[in-house]
Amino acid sequence: MSDRRLGWLLLAPALALLGGLTVYPALWVIWLSLHYRVPVFSISRWAGLAHYAFLVVDTRFWNAAGVTALFTVASVALECGLGLSMALGLWGQRRARRAAVALLLLAWALPSVVTAKMFEWLYHPAGGLVNFLLGGRPINWLGDPLLALPALIAADVWRTTPFVALLCYARLLTIPGELYEAAEVDGAAGVQAFARITWPLVRSILLVALLFRTLDALRAFDLMFVLTGGGPAGSTETLTVYAYRALFQTLQVGFGSAIGVVVFALVMVVAVGYLRMIHRQEAGA
Amino acid sequence: MAPRPARAAAALAVLLVLLAGGCHERPPADGPITLVFKHAKILGPADPVPGLLRRFEAEHPGVRVQSEALTWSSDEQHQFYVINLEGGSPPFDVMMLDVIWVPEFARAGWILDLTARVPAAERDAHFASAIEPAVQDGRLWALPWFMNVGLLYYRRDLLAKYGLAPPETYEELVRQVRVVQAGERDRRLDGYLWQGKQYEGGMVNVLEALWANGTRLLDEQGRPFPEPERAREALAFMRSLIERGVSPAWVTAADEELTRRPFGDGRAIFLRGWPYALDLFELPDSRVRGRVGVAPMPRLPHGRVGAASTGGAHLAVSARTRHAALAVELVRFLTGAAAQRAMTEGAALRPSRPALYRDAGLIARDPTLPALLPLILAGHPRPITPYYLMLSTTLQPEFSAVLVGRKSPARAIRDGTAQVLHLQEALTR
Repeated sequence: MSDRRLGWLLLAPALALLGGLTVYPALWVIWLSLHYRVPVFSISRWAGLAHYAFLVVDTRFWNAAGVTALFTVASVALECGLGLSMALGLWGQRRARRAAVALLLLAWALPSVVTAKMFEWLYHPAGGLVNFLLGGRPINWLGDPLLALPALIAADVWRTTPFVALLCYARLLTIPGELYEAAEVDGAAGVQAFARITWPLVRSILLVALLFRTLDALRAFDLMFVLTGGGPAGSTETLTVYAYRALFQTLQVGFGSAIGVVVFALVMVVAVGYLRMIHRQEAGA
Repeated sequence: MAPRPARAAAALAVLLVLLAGGCHERPPADGPITLVFKHAKILGPADPVPGLLRRFEAEHPGVRVQSEALTWSSDEQHQFYVINLEGGSPPFDVMMLDVIWVPEFARAGWILDLTARVPAAERDAHFASAIEPAVQDGRLWALPWFMNVGLLYYRRDLLAKYGLAPPETYEELVRQVRVVQAGERDRRLDGYLWQGKQYEGGMVNVLEALWANGTRLLDEQGRPFPEPERAREALAFMRSLIERGVSPAWVTAADEELTRRPFGDGRAIFLRGWPYALDLFELPDSRVRGRVGVAPMPRLPHGRVGAASTGGAHLAVSARTRHAALAVELVRFLTGAAAQRAMTEGAALRPSRPALYRDAGLIARDPTLPALLPLILAGHPRPITPYYLMLSTTLQPEFSAVLVGRKSPARAIRDGTAQVLHLQEALTR
């Protein structure tokens, strides 16, 4: 057996597994999205691109797309900014670093539904801690269409900033101290040392964190599902919540799949974009 | 004596039945038959389900019933069923269904037709509002297991203090809130709590307002909003409760528990809720123990009576079960009078059989039963249609938009009508 054939043979199980677990379902969903399929009514017929044509004029879809975009940009920007600051803070801290890391992990380790339930009570307008800390004014966090999305973004930031912080912190730990000593000798300290040493070294890992967080945020589901159900007035309904409602609540399998395909395409485009950036950076470094 | 061919045919029929029996229902000699019963975990002082299942097993030697718990959230239960029933052979025989799913599952062909398997008298022993949703195209698809109905909870002590009787109309309720709040001078005492979140519970509250104003969501032909003006008034009234401060603004994000707790802490005068809260309000450490009354839901100007939504759980048999006869027997056993009595005694659930509400022995265990009977009799089922969930999820954002003041009621009704018509067109084309 040639090396080449052996190579393929060894790869085969992994390829088969990946194909079976990811490619096949993805193709199946695309196939479904080209059909009218509502099992309850025994409806199953070809639809072509009709579902996609409807999405173009569907106000609920565009609302969900807007909510998803806003949620993604705001939560990811805050998470990366705060995460990096936390990592730098931890790094400069001398005492109780381990305890701080453990505390950080706690927020991230909570199951997201538990986090959501916890925030439901934190945000409670009458008895919630948030309003109590703000002086007892009955702010209607989850019931006001202007406040509900920011409230969810804050909950998401609370939950996932530690993830970004830990990634960055791990990177910071690998930067040799000599670099800074050398910089100090050369008269570069403070902001300059950060700009010339820390930032270039931490940037690549931040990009990875950004990639993970963006992909997660684009598919955001559990927080809104538990806390607001997509309300009030659809102001927190993301694309995945809309897809879920179509697929599992109203059993419009074809239409729901079409929304799923749009989310999938969106995620792919973003992922490829990020991967290119990461690649370029590695090539440049 | 019958002629030969007939006897031969009879013998053949017997043989076929035996063979068929041999194929479908293995005799106990091959090991016990296992029925899988899928249901939500029953809360309450003592879960009566295991005891009931052991009793069923004792009455049916060679049969084992395996009870499997569903997740707590109703959405997840629905999702579980859809995936398993649509996919092919579901790993269960008997299942607990939310009443609003029964027409949908029947239409999908996922559950067994019980019409010929359940005597009419047994069907009639349940509340009509519990049987109606289980009937689709004139056939019976499930039997009610326990019952739910919307209630108006009120603070008996506060109303008595100001010489008020429970309100029959919503305007009366608003006046009473004003009187009590003016007298108590407690900024933390809210008026009327209800569920306005964008979810099924919010839908229930809107439906109740429509009925209270003498109209409905769908007419006999399934057309939405047959009397748009009355529907508009009902929605406008719900919004006005918030604008006038009768209800706090946060009811627009509230579900059952978020409203039940403040009322239970003594921080509201009225609450729209389900019967389970009654038991919680009467717990020894409850702050409102002995101070809570229940009344029928009030009415709006065009309604003759207020009407609460009914709800509850039904039991159905999977269409793919290999033990249909036994599974139906299990359903009939669990929905029977003896089992429902055990459910009422052991769990905080109310039976679907009116006779049990007049049963002195059971009333001694659950004194709330007589008060609940007239409320359930006056209750309405939600629209009985296989596409109820579609209807509900389509309209929820529209109603929510009215409650938070983002859309006028008229606009929401117009937009909602257009969406429902689009949906119906896509489904019936």
